Amino acid sequence: MTNNHLTDETLQAFLLKESQDDAVAAHLSACAECREKLENYQRLVAGMQKMAPESFAFDVTTVVMDKVVRYERQKKRMQELVFWGLLSILIIVIIAFSIPFLSQIRAVFTAIPVFTMLLIIGTGLVVLLFLIVDLNTQYKRKAEKIFQNKLQPIR
Amino acid sequence: MKHMSNESGRFSDKVIVTNILNGNIQDFAVVVTQTEKLVAQIVRKMTTNADDQKDLVQDIYLKVYQNLPSFQFKSKLSTWIANIAYNTTVRYLQKKKIPIIGMEETTESKFIATEDAEFDTIKTEAVDILTKEIDQLPPLYKTLITLYHLEELPNKEIAEITNLPEGTIKSYLYRARKMLKDNVNHHYKNR
Repeated sequence: MTNNHLTDETLQAFLLKESQDDAVAAHLSACAECREKLENYQRLVAGMQKMAPESFAFDVTTVVMDKVVRYERQKKRMQELVFWGLLSILIIVIIAFSIPFLSQIRAVFTAIPVFTMLLIIGTGLVVLLFLIVDLNTQYKRKAEKIFQNKLQPIR
Repeated sequence: MKHMSNESGRFSDKVIVTNILNGNIQDFAVVVTQTEKLVAQIVRKMTTNADDQKDLVQDIYLKVYQNLPSFQFKSKLSTWIANIAYNTTVRYLQKKKIPIIGMEETTESKFIATEDAEFDTIKTEAVDILTKEIDQLPPLYKTLITLYHLEELPNKEIAEITNLPEGTIKSYLYRARKMLKDNVNHHYKNR
């Protein structure tokens, strides 16, 4: 058996306890050459475990968080752009489709007394004002949650 | 015990990912801090240019952030991030036309191990020589050696990171260790 030496693969598997063959242990107790080879591998593995782990020369968290915050801002800007773009298109389409009915729309306002018309316009403006204030409050609350870390961990 | 720590790890992964997805961007910094060592083992072992490494790290974590909603907790968060790091780095090497295991022949042919070299001792204190010899290995071998021996990851987890079958990883690790042993022996023989 000593003439038929163990392969490097068998020695490594034995060293790393990936295989526990009794025949390998028996061969090793009888063969100095394979024992020497195994010791080489033992030193190699021990040396690798002593090596210092790799690290970067820059602060990874700062670099990454800069990129992520920039990406979030860009995403938000893009979403706003899409929103206002779609809204503008919608307004243009509504105006374009209302042009043939302009005289009928004007008739609605001229047919009613000035006081009633002012009342309608005033009510509309108040509702619009409330909507804007509510939208602004919601926006501020969400911005506070995102940027001031107000969310508690969900359990 | 290990199963329990895995379970608690998955639970904390879930908490942190949920927080980030709920808009708590600052929690992403915790993910970066927890995984940067593992990412460094992959990126620094496979690439050498410091500027490219910075770009790669930014790309890797941005991909992680963008794909976080699709993370299904089938593996550990760190394993998933390491997989993204590995794939991104491999694509970078492919773009630069750097072979990830193709240098094997040239490295081996440089050092033809003799039977005498077999008996040369490898000094355990010579960690710097070993580090230098590991740096001479092909990028994939370097990464596998680091993940297995330094990070002490099991073959199953390395397989998840590299998308390679466990058998292939075992075989590459055998070859890498053999090359390393021969090269270190050769180093001492030529001193």
